[in-house]
Amino acid sequence: MVISSAPMRISFAGGGTDFPEFYTKYPGRVISTAIDKFIFIVINHAPYTNHVAARYSLCEDVSHPSELKNTRIREALLDLGIEANIEIGSFAPIPARTGLGSSSSFSVALMKGLYAYIGERLDKREVAEAACRLEIDLVKEPIGKQDQYAAAFGGFNVLQFNADGSVDVEPVLLDYKKRMDLENHLILFFLGTMRDASSVLAEQKANTERNFEILKRMSDSVPVFKEALLRADFESAGKMLLEGWMMKKQLASAISNPAIDTLYEIAMSRGAWGGKVLGAGGAGCLMMLSPVSRRAAVVDALMGGAKAEGFENACEIPVGFVQVGAEIVINSNGR
Amino acid sequence: MERYIQEFSQKAISLLRNLPRVEIAKAMNILQAAYERDARIYVAGNGGSLSLATHWVADFNKTVFSHHLDTPQRRFQAIRVPTTEEELTAWANDVGFDMVFAGPLRNYLQDSDVLIAISSSGKSENIIRAVELARSQTVPVIGISGFDGGRLNLLSDAKILIPTTPGEYELVESVHAIVLHIFTKYFREYFDHVFFSRKSPEAAYVAPVSSTVDRIFAAL
Repeated sequence: MVISSAPMRISFAGGGTDFPEFYTKYPGRVISTAIDKFIFIVINHAPYTNHVAARYSLCEDVSHPSELKNTRIREALLDLGIEANIEIGSFAPIPARTGLGSSSSFSVALMKGLYAYIGERLDKREVAEAACRLEIDLVKEPIGKQDQYAAAFGGFNVLQFNADGSVDVEPVLLDYKKRMDLENHLILFFLGTMRDASSVLAEQKANTERNFEILKRMSDSVPVFKEALLRADFESAGKMLLEGWMMKKQLASAISNPAIDTLYEIAMSRGAWGGKVLGAGGAGCLMMLSPVSRRAAVVDALMGGAKAEGFENACEIPVGFVQVGAEIVINSNGR
Repeated sequence: MERYIQEFSQKAISLLRNLPRVEIAKAMNILQAAYERDARIYVAGNGGSLSLATHWVADFNKTVFSHHLDTPQRRFQAIRVPTTEEELTAWANDVGFDMVFAGPLRNYLQDSDVLIAISSSGKSENIIRAVELARSQTVPVIGISGFDGGRLNLLSDAKILIPTTPGEYELVESVHAIVLHIFTKYFREYFDHVFFSRKSPEAAYVAPVSSTVDRIFAAL
């Protein structure tokens, strides 16, 4: 049995610049951190069954991987030539489609685990690239590359997407005081509704040319945001999130909606500095930076506002940053 | 004689002024990740470097947590390789000195672990063998070297090179001791900060996180 894991992520700035339509013309940049919410993938060799089982939010039991509904598991197994005698399960603390990059964390953990299962080891870069290939080339998701690299590498990084398709991973070297201080200023608020990133991203991808100048400004904001964090100037960082959010809303029609705008306004009126909807947008998680002294008031107001908007399952998700990336937790098939 | 002493200290000061800060920070991130996944951190070196390795293991396993040793808290697992003189001499006598680290390490090393390799020249063959073993398992390597860094510096993920003319063992080993003490002090202060902010939330605000911090001090 192999158990692998990969963290989810929070991205602060530059989302949308990780599409080839953009980074082949101008360097794309994203600043993000891995968080202490992990996807675990369990892969079991079942030699005395002839089946292929996939257990996630659904339970699938089929005789050949091509019959699987789960596109990522299906394409990965077909690509690796694994045709039978395998059971794959996934486990996570948070539902999918919340904007925390979980679908790419899933792919990263899956590829890390499947390669270990066939006796090969992928380093961080190799597993990021394997997950990108799986999601973008094989499954043909209209997504970029930031989440796969964030999950594979772990830690707090600036990712740069170069015209030749390569990705530079530059760590943001925050000491523990700044890191914990930023955690204290950060509110992650789960709206309790999920969304499928694909439709928002497909529109955003199609709009790349129209949005080119906005995307350029978003990419250029990344080093500035990084400098603010290194100075522990979270007020400036928060205000940059507000500017970034105003830009991001112009990228595609479904990134925000009246309910999200209302909650954002509520958080700002209670003293938050700024924030954004994580992931493709439309739903999922609202992240705000706020003075520590205003934090409780912002969360209370968001809870009240969310209930009024009918988000019954809305809640704050406590979050910490982690260095750890994609890992093999257990490999009982030997070393 | 005073002048001789002054010259040594001036060279040491110059090396300390130019410490590879980014690489040391990267090494600390590797150690942080090792802690998060409860990994083992193996340390290897020859002669004076072995002494540095052993000293650091004691610091990292115990001194880092000295202010709250009675707390049921996850600690570092730093381990010097080989762990016994018997293994060291058995491998040296039966197989060769090149295998005194890689030989025993192969028994323990798992993919999630970390290797710290210390070699002033960066060329010690037995150290390079251990690093190659680690790399074959995608185990992150913190390389602590001197002189021109040798192959150790090339093969490492965190490349902590103290550049000197070849043969300056005394300077290199002295600065290596300081680098290792930076690791110790940083993590001691980190865990103290977490511990005391948890114990008295009014003293330093800590968000209500069920996160890394709470996993560290689950019992508080």
